[in-house]
Amino acid sequence: MAKLSLKGIRKQFGNTEVLRGIDLEIGDRELVVFVGPSGCGKSTLLRLIAGLDPTSGGTFTIDGREMTHVPPSKRGIAMVFQSYALYPHMSVRENMTFGVKLMGLPADEIEARINEAAAMLRLEPLLDRKPRELSGGQRQRVAIGRALVRKPDVFLLDEPLSNLDAALRSDVRLEIAKLHEEIGGTMIYVTHDQVEAMTLATRIVVMNGGAVEQVGTPRELFETPRNTFVATFIGSPRMTLVKATRSGDSFEIAGSGAVTLPGAPDSGAEVTLGLRPDALTVTPDGEGYAADFVYSEYLGNDAYVYARLGDGTLVSARVDPASDKQVTGGKIRVAPRADALHFFDPDSGLRL
Amino acid sequence: MTATPDTPAKGPRGWITGRGAWITFLLVPPLVVMTLFVIYPIVSALAYAFYDWNGLRREGFVGFENFRIILFEEPFASTTWQAFKHNIIVFASLMIVQNGVGFILAYCLWRDLWGARFHRVAVFLPVVLSTVIIGYLWKLFFHPIFGVVNQSLKAVGLDSLVQPWLGQSETALAALIFVNAWAWVGFPTLVFLAGLQRIPSELIDAARMETDSEWHLIRKIVWPLIAPSTTVVFILLFIGSFNWFELPYIMAGLDGSPFGSTDVLGLFFYRTAFGNQSAGVQDFGLGSALAVIMFLFIAIVATFWTLHLRKKELDL
Ligand SMILES: Nc1ncnc2c1ncn2[C@@H]1O[C@H](COP(=O)(O)OP(=O)(O)O)[C@@H](O)[C@H]1O
Ligand SMILES: [Mg+2]
Repeated sequence: MAKLSLKGIRKQFGNTEVLRGIDLEIGDRELVVFVGPSGCGKSTLLRLIAGLDPTSGGTFTIDGREMTHVPPSKRGIAMVFQSYALYPHMSVRENMTFGVKLMGLPADEIEARINEAAAMLRLEPLLDRKPRELSGGQRQRVAIGRALVRKPDVFLLDEPLSNLDAALRSDVRLEIAKLHEEIGGTMIYVTHDQVEAMTLATRIVVMNGGAVEQVGTPRELFETPRNTFVATFIGSPRMTLVKATRSGDSFEIAGSGAVTLPGAPDSGAEVTLGLRPDALTVTPDGEGYAADFVYSEYLGNDAYVYARLGDGTLVSARVDPASDKQVTGGKIRVAPRADALHFFDPDSGLRL
Repeated sequence: MTATPDTPAKGPRGWITGRGAWITFLLVPPLVVMTLFVIYPIVSALAYAFYDWNGLRREGFVGFENFRIILFEEPFASTTWQAFKHNIIVFASLMIVQNGVGFILAYCLWRDLWGARFHRVAVFLPVVLSTVIIGYLWKLFFHPIFGVVNQSLKAVGLDSLVQPWLGQSETALAALIFVNAWAWVGFPTLVFLAGLQRIPSELIDAARMETDSEWHLIRKIVWPLIAPSTTVVFILLFIGSFNWFELPYIMAGLDGSPFGSTDVLGLFFYRTAFGNQSAGVQDFGLGSALAVIMFLFIAIVATFWTLHLRKKELDL
């Protein structure tokens, strides 16, 4: 059981405000992913939760218990570090027993936990090795195993895949998802990679500049981003933002003409349109915004056409890979699907 | 080589000869200097130890007689063993006090406790002072009447502790050990600090997630990880302790006063080899024998100890 509750959490390093009032509720057994660009404060927030750094303000409770004066080892939290942080002078087994021995567990209980974790993570043949004799992926599994044997209520993982090569990354990602299912603890996972976030999370916390931009399921974030930051951060290829002038249901983009978009939300005359590749279809002529073909990208399952609108914005449109060859240059038209578009206020960046 | 015999040898072979000449040219001078000033004195000291000496005049070959006398015959034997015992005390105490305090200081500096930047300099300052100055300074500090040590004790009302620190057998050696630790504590501090700063901070964080006991952290994580820096600190302290000379010489004199309570092998060697005003005896053979014994003892122990510690480091 572990419910985490953060209220107005702030953190300052000297005069720099790194976290500017974080409010967050994390339920039992959730796999929450903190995602955001580098330097937005994800690791800082994780370290505050772990108790490795003191907060500068706000309250943090686990199951209603205030954590400010509880030392890291007494919070029921285990953490997997980006560098794995295995003790280099200890064998894999010793790395895993160090913490539980200090918890005062009986020897046979420790042994049972080691065996269980080793079996789950395929560590049995490695138990007597030193960390320097392990590959990156193996070290990663040991780091997870070390967290596992403590049977914590909360797992924290800080960019656990960033030191692995691309081939291993998706394997380990899958393993972590499976692990979360098996042990059923609360997990907080930090990454700057939105694909990782989308594939793993039950809920995503999008952070930017020391504040939370939006919290929601992957689907909610993708379909109803609260503002332009979330809209452009989530989804690949990125959403393109373009300014349009509205009169009635007709939206004009400078130099590209106007298109009628029925059912658009109420707004002023100026609107920011959010265009995902899926929301655009490419036609050589007919209805749509006029654009100049730039290049096309063939990815096997997918194909994208990149085109420049009249105001200079580069947009991408997903096209049928089989018919990819049809558009190869010159003037084209990109037609938006009204139901797949996003509308934002140009001043506040908020969703309309 | 397939070069025709009438062309002068250029090519690789000529180059190698030139290189060989260079290597010889560069190596010979230092080797000569080293032989002259290091190896020759050691070998000749070894040789001197096997002769009977009359003052500085060499007489007959006596085999191991000098060694036997210095180790087992009175009045030399008891002085030798007493001095050796003092060296051991010095080494053991400095191991605990100097290295112990050095580690604690390094740990505090590492954790950035109170004014780390100032203390980093302050701690290392005495190391660069000459031993002569330090010895002289502390001799003044320990002066029974005017010295700051006793003055301070009086000032804080601890009159009962006021005593002639350097003038009585019970405290003289301890006072010297204290001064040595004061002067040299910066060295282990610096080496330990360098070792501590090499530990990745995430490793310490990982340990803090598992224990809130500072003691466990130090004993199980920090100490093993700085083991490589302990080797050099331990070995150098060992060598320094058994070669201890300047500080007792300056602060307690050639006789290890009072009553030989600060006598160490270095002082005894000096007295036997070169004599002193009070005793007037001088025996170069005995002195050399003592020097050879000290050299062998230090070299052998230091070698095996280093090998042992290195093996433990490799285990890391
Ligand atoms: N110990 C520190 N002292 C000063 N600034 C820090 C410290 N730790 C982090 N910061 C700053 O806080 C910001 C957030 O850092 P971090 O939480 O590591 O970001 P990320 O989201 O990439 O994990 C960065 O701008 C970083 O420079
Ligand atoms: Mg980070």
